[in-house]
Amino acid sequence: MARKSYAYAQLEGVAQEMRKNKDMVFFYEYEVPVATLPTGEVLDLAKEFGPLRTSGRGWAIDESWLVGSAVGVAAAGSIAVVRLPSMTTLYAIEYIYNQAGKLRSMTGGQASMPFVLWQSGGGRTKGSAGQHTEVGQEALYANLPGIKVVVPSNAYDAKGLLIAAIRDPDPVVYFDYPEVKSGEQPEVPDDPYEVPLGKAVVRQPGRDITIVAWAPASVEVKRALPAIAKAGISAEYIDPRTLKPLDVGTLAASVKKTRRLLVVEHGHYTGGYGSHVIAEVVQAVPGVKAKKIAFPDVPGPGAQGMMAWLRPDAPKIVDAAIEIMKA
Amino acid sequence: MPDHNGNIDRRTLLKALGSAGATSVVFSSCARSIGTARADSNPSLTGGKWDKTVTLASAGPGGNPAWQPGDAVKFLPPEKMPTRGRASDTLARLSKEQLLTLYRRMNASRKWETAMKDLFVGGKDGLYGAFHTYIGEEAIACGVMAALNDDDYIASTHRGHGHLIAKGGDLNQMAAEIFFKESGYNKGYGGSMHITDMSKGIMGMNGIVGASFYLAAGAALRALVRGTKQLAVAFFGDGGANSPYYFSAVRSCANYRIPVIFVNENNFQYMGVPMATVCPTKYISDYTKGLDIPHHVVDGNDVAAVYAATKEAADWARAGKGPSMIEGITYRWYDHSGFAGGRVGKDAAWGLPYRSDEEVRQWMTRDPIARFKAWLLEKELARASELAAIEAEAQSAVESSIAFARQSKDPDPRAGVLNTHAGGAVPATQFFNRSGLANPVSV
Repeated sequence: MARKSYAYAQLEGVAQEMRKNKDMVFFYEYEVPVATLPTGEVLDLAKEFGPLRTSGRGWAIDESWLVGSAVGVAAAGSIAVVRLPSMTTLYAIEYIYNQAGKLRSMTGGQASMPFVLWQSGGGRTKGSAGQHTEVGQEALYANLPGIKVVVPSNAYDAKGLLIAAIRDPDPVVYFDYPEVKSGEQPEVPDDPYEVPLGKAVVRQPGRDITIVAWAPASVEVKRALPAIAKAGISAEYIDPRTLKPLDVGTLAASVKKTRRLLVVEHGHYTGGYGSHVIAEVVQAVPGVKAKKIAFPDVPGPGAQGMMAWLRPDAPKIVDAAIEIMKA
Repeated sequence: MPDHNGNIDRRTLLKALGSAGATSVVFSSCARSIGTARADSNPSLTGGKWDKTVTLASAGPGGNPAWQPGDAVKFLPPEKMPTRGRASDTLARLSKEQLLTLYRRMNASRKWETAMKDLFVGGKDGLYGAFHTYIGEEAIACGVMAALNDDDYIASTHRGHGHLIAKGGDLNQMAAEIFFKESGYNKGYGGSMHITDMSKGIMGMNGIVGASFYLAAGAALRALVRGTKQLAVAFFGDGGANSPYYFSAVRSCANYRIPVIFVNENNFQYMGVPMATVCPTKYISDYTKGLDIPHHVVDGNDVAAVYAATKEAADWARAGKGPSMIEGITYRWYDHSGFAGGRVGKDAAWGLPYRSDEEVRQWMTRDPIARFKAWLLEKELARASELAAIEAEAQSAVESSIAFARQSKDPDPRAGVLNTHAGGAVPATQFFNRSGLANPVSV
């Protein structure tokens, strides 16, 4: 089993499902679906599956077409996956809102919707400014009825959640954040496997405080954990992986033990998904001390100093953990 | 291979390419002049040779789904496109001062972006963020702007530095924005892709492909509401034409006679994807041929052709007749974004995987600035010494802009919570107590 890149793990999952489902389609914009193993083995989905089942060498910049036509493919009964780049995070939302998410219900259960929107997320990076830096739009999709939302934060989950999303008969929005792709990654099995939808994972067990974060805030939480331990705080860190349906059971079990909840979000503060996490947990476990830190309600600015100050990074997470222990 | 006048020896070229290209007829001008029923009766607008049979590597920039990666040359310019005819006469009617301003802005645009390229590639200033160069396409921005009034609007693209400079944008504030300084046009919030000067009708560069159509249409609609004679220009690329906003905006402007000039800068490659594979028509402007509006397909490297077409379109719009479509065929010398294949002190990007160096070299022989300069001298509209002085002045303005940017202050990081709403700050929700760290620790 060769060590796989994050991108390879994802494309391998799609390719395996496409080999199994001969009428499954995979459309994409901007990035060509090619990845290479360290051994030099090349996975080229356009080449393997041909232009009819993929976007070939690239389709026009037209997200409405990519998403709309794929929803049509799925409504007619075949699995359809669409991958959009980060600068078009919300282009797809109207069609997903009024078609992908509603057809099953409106047709009294007739229409199946084996559709996956593989949506690249932005990142809180310097220099991109405004339209290319945003994070957290998974919350907007999660608000739509009929839509499930997953957000992987390592290569193992990336492949497993993608396969689970593809096999799910309902529309799933799969958020793919660049920040989690670098750095140490777990082994990714060669065979297809599922990371089940709706299952959170405890990444670090602890007693004093429950920290909840998903990609891309998970990177900063991981950086903060050693310093939190050094401050004498035993933190339990949970990655929900699926935001909708949310694994409230795992979160509640943790908070029953720690009585404290800190949610860290790189998305915007107001209406961010972390607010829903807190709402669910405090309803399940009365008397919890809960706090959320998040990127303020501003478009990400370009200047690096401003961006660094606005990001809820590791020092701010450590500070919040210490403060919540005092509160 | 190309001689000093930019002419290409076709035989040598084909030998270099290794294959004979298809022969096709390109670029008949479809301009409809005001007061006449059809444009086709007036084919001499562009003044160049776009209506003659030329040899191309493909049947045209678009409509060639058979194009394969590895087909070295996708599209080459016709071998000769002298600036002449009615477009040339139209441009020659500008005052000397206007012509020299045009020359100054084309040079400033080229030199400013070239200097930025050297800074990015050189690395000493630690520049970061996206940068989409306009180099090679300057005739379109400058030709369009020369036909506009100062209070007209433009909505730009991600590749818009040239639009700003052509409309009188300030080099200092532009440079400072590239450096993300407080003195930049956008105070360090925006960077290259979002530079804006509302005071000059520049509604901004924009990071979203296809965003210009509605912004320009709305500005022009407002002009109708207020009863001014302003118009708006929407710049877009061949990639942006595939946005669903495109047809929607052009159709509505045609229907309601909204004074917009749609200017397509067709460099027939969106990022690394050739237009040939994503566009079913030969020209982008073919998409809207069903709408009864003037269509001008011009040599986008000929400032006279662009100016003359825009002049007609502007007169048309101000006469209350609605929008026009201008398509300028051109070429970007650099990569889509950034400077892959670029070097300090050397023009253009070389060795990019999706195009051939030969193609770049051929297009560089159609350098719009060199052609304009040759035209000015040939028509005896300016002396060589005057033009040399303008070039030196442009270079010095560029250097001052860099010095200005370097000397300017970084924005206060805490400004990050300002400017989202018209007044006040939003809460600093990244901190537990919303003001700063209570327990500074190192991690």
